[in-house]
Amino acid sequence: MTQAEGSHPAWSDGPPGRWEDGDVPTAVSLGEGTVVTGADVFKRLRSHRNPALVIGSHCTMELTQFSYGLDGYIEIGDHCLFSNAVLMSELEIRIGSHVVLGWNTYVADSDFHPLEPIARIADTIACSPIGAAAGLPRPDVVCAPVVIEDDVWVGPSCTILKGVRIGAGAFVEPGSLVSIDVPARGRVMGNPARLVGNV
Amino acid sequence: MENRRLPWDWHDGMLPSSTVLHEESMVESSYSFLLDRSQPPYGVLVERGTSTYGGTMFDLGPRGRMTFGQFCMTNGTRFVCDERITVGDYCLLAWNVVIMDTYRTPLDPLARRRALRGEPPTQPRRFVAESETRPVAIGDAVWIGFDSVVLPGVTIGDGVIVGARSVVNSDCEPWTIVAGNPARVIRKLEAPDRASWPTPPG
Repeated sequence: MTQAEGSHPAWSDGPPGRWEDGDVPTAVSLGEGTVVTGADVFKRLRSHRNPALVIGSHCTMELTQFSYGLDGYIEIGDHCLFSNAVLMSELEIRIGSHVVLGWNTYVADSDFHPLEPIARIADTIACSPIGAAAGLPRPDVVCAPVVIEDDVWVGPSCTILKGVRIGAGAFVEPGSLVSIDVPARGRVMGNPARLVGNV
Repeated sequence: MENRRLPWDWHDGMLPSSTVLHEESMVESSYSFLLDRSQPPYGVLVERGTSTYGGTMFDLGPRGRMTFGQFCMTNGTRFVCDERITVGDYCLLAWNVVIMDTYRTPLDPLARRRALRGEPPTQPRRFVAESETRPVAIGDAVWIGFDSVVLPGVTIGDGVIVGARSVVNSDCEPWTIVAGNPARVIRKLEAPDRASWPTPPG
């Protein structure tokens, strides 16, 4: 989209994008006409990467939380609408353009704790006040990037788990928990989500 | 504990007299006990190395008792307890999990209507109704994914992993992964020998 078509007069000499509740953190890049609301949305931005969050132009992020591990990275395309979603990244979340995420939807690229019992018990000890004081290292956690392609609609109260790729134009019904890949233009629902048709 | 105020507390409040905390445990805020009506000797008992963060809520009735084992971590779990909830050692409870041993109101619609009409004008308003309680027991090294619900009477065995946004309405065999609504076994885990479990420092 060229400058002439895309830019609204109200943005002609303002910042490219804005966060309504303060200055945009340096690790965050907002495109033209993007608006982010919510006072605490960058509270958990702990990533060492810079930039750690790239949002394209003309996106609306209403009260959408961005929660990071130390190596987290989130990239969002243009003209997206997220409301009250929570994006949790330990590795990488890539979201295309014209994507809608509904209320109370969680996207995570990690399980945050090891699946294997012995490692998980070690993790509970490392996370405890005693383990933290002793400087015990946390065991490695499996992470896998999440990719949500262009024109995907994700309903409210959905969960997108690690390693999932949702194909372009797919439709995720409200309340679904997506643990498998969704083909382009597929329609999924349920916990766990199953393919029920096409759009 | 002499001083019932937590030094790091962001909420201006005190721990109830029925709360028993190990000196090496970590409770982030007294806000978690806003709904706690339990009585001494103890309502919430927290063992060594266990930490409760964020919006964790202990919603205990007058006869409610719940115990946390060692080295558990929870961040925003809600416990609705009118009788007994036990959590073992090394458990991870994620955010928005609800663990309840009672539905708080009678199941029979007419009895429920009577209970709702008999609402006492107390301040703060507390709902008191006789309803069935069935204790919940959670074993060691259990991991409950976010937004899951554990219904009254459920026993979760050692090492069980409950997938995110599951509803657990029946007992779970030890060392399994359960998920879905209602939760079903989706995989079995190999039970590790107790001797091979990591030992905490101290």
